[in-house]
Amino acid sequence: MHELGIANSLIEIVLENANANGAKVVRSVTAKIGRLAAVDSEALKFAYDAIKEEYPMIAESVLLIDNVPVTGKCNKCGATDTYDEMFFACSKCGSYEVELMTGEELTVSEIEVD
Amino acid sequence: MKTVNIQEKILTKNEMKAAELREKLKGVAVLNFVSSPGSGKTSLLEKVLVMLKDKYKIAVVEGDQQTTHDADRIKATGVEAFQVNTGNACHLEAIDIERALGSLGYDLDLLIIENVGNLVCPAEYDLGEDAKVVLLSVTEGDDKPAKYPVMTRAGSAYIINKIDLLPYVDFSVEKCIEYAKGIQPELEFFTTSCRTGEGLDKVADYIEKMIKAKKG
Repeated sequence: MHELGIANSLIEIVLENANANGAKVVRSVTAKIGRLAAVDSEALKFAYDAIKEEYPMIAESVLLIDNVPVTGKCNKCGATDTYDEMFFACSKCGSYEVELMTGEELTVSEIEVD
Repeated sequence: MKTVNIQEKILTKNEMKAAELREKLKGVAVLNFVSSPGSGKTSLLEKVLVMLKDKYKIAVVEGDQQTTHDADRIKATGVEAFQVNTGNACHLEAIDIERALGSLGYDLDLLIIENVGNLVCPAEYDLGEDAKVVLLSVTEGDDKPAKYPVMTRAGSAYIINKIDLLPYVDFSVEKCIEYAKGIQPELEFFTTSCRTGEGLDKVADYIEKMIKAKKG
């Protein structure tokens, strides 16, 4: 449960970028969270909503989560897969030498401001 | 309304502190030992660090909710140790390590961190380590790597401990290793018993390799 710390850091990034762009108010924030980032989306939203009240610029904003699936490319045969289970074996050749391409993201991707 | 494109990685205060520690610990091998409670982290360290303590300057940070029992056990072997009591927290944070180093000093060859026994939260907290060493005892079940995949993915080495108990439990070492490899193919595996001493020399070799790699 480190979502509170993540919400705080996320808000810092949002405020910095909103100010740099001369925004008066932030309407929405989109964050990308990979399935392997070990972040619970609901807990993060809860933490964000609790903290945003302290900052007038984001008090009315909504946090949108863009959940990123785990995808990988096999280093043996080159096949690409999307993994529902946390077991990364190539579906073509069975090799474990899979390089993950997505799924570890934890980024602020964009904000909508007025 | 306008859209501002950002694409910035969210770095928590803990990650920033861990990066700071990594900078300060440039020539020091730092290993973060994680496992469920009772897998045998302290017993393993007691035996393995004795093999290395005359050659290298070693210190151990012990994390537990309460008591100084584990630090006392390490100190009894002649290795420096600092106990962090986390109170209600279920993991160590980088700031705990900084505090411990304030007492232990940075002039080390090897820093061992024995995290709070927990396979969930410690996976999410970077302590400035070079590697996470995951321990699992054979009484816990061979599918544990799959049940706690985030920790398995974060690990560099995987130690299957208490193998002297294998005749009494339904635990397949091969199955366990297969589960773990499917999550983290780069894991190095060890099988150990602190009772019989089996495999402990291999763990000592692994640690020594990390120390030498860090010294450059």
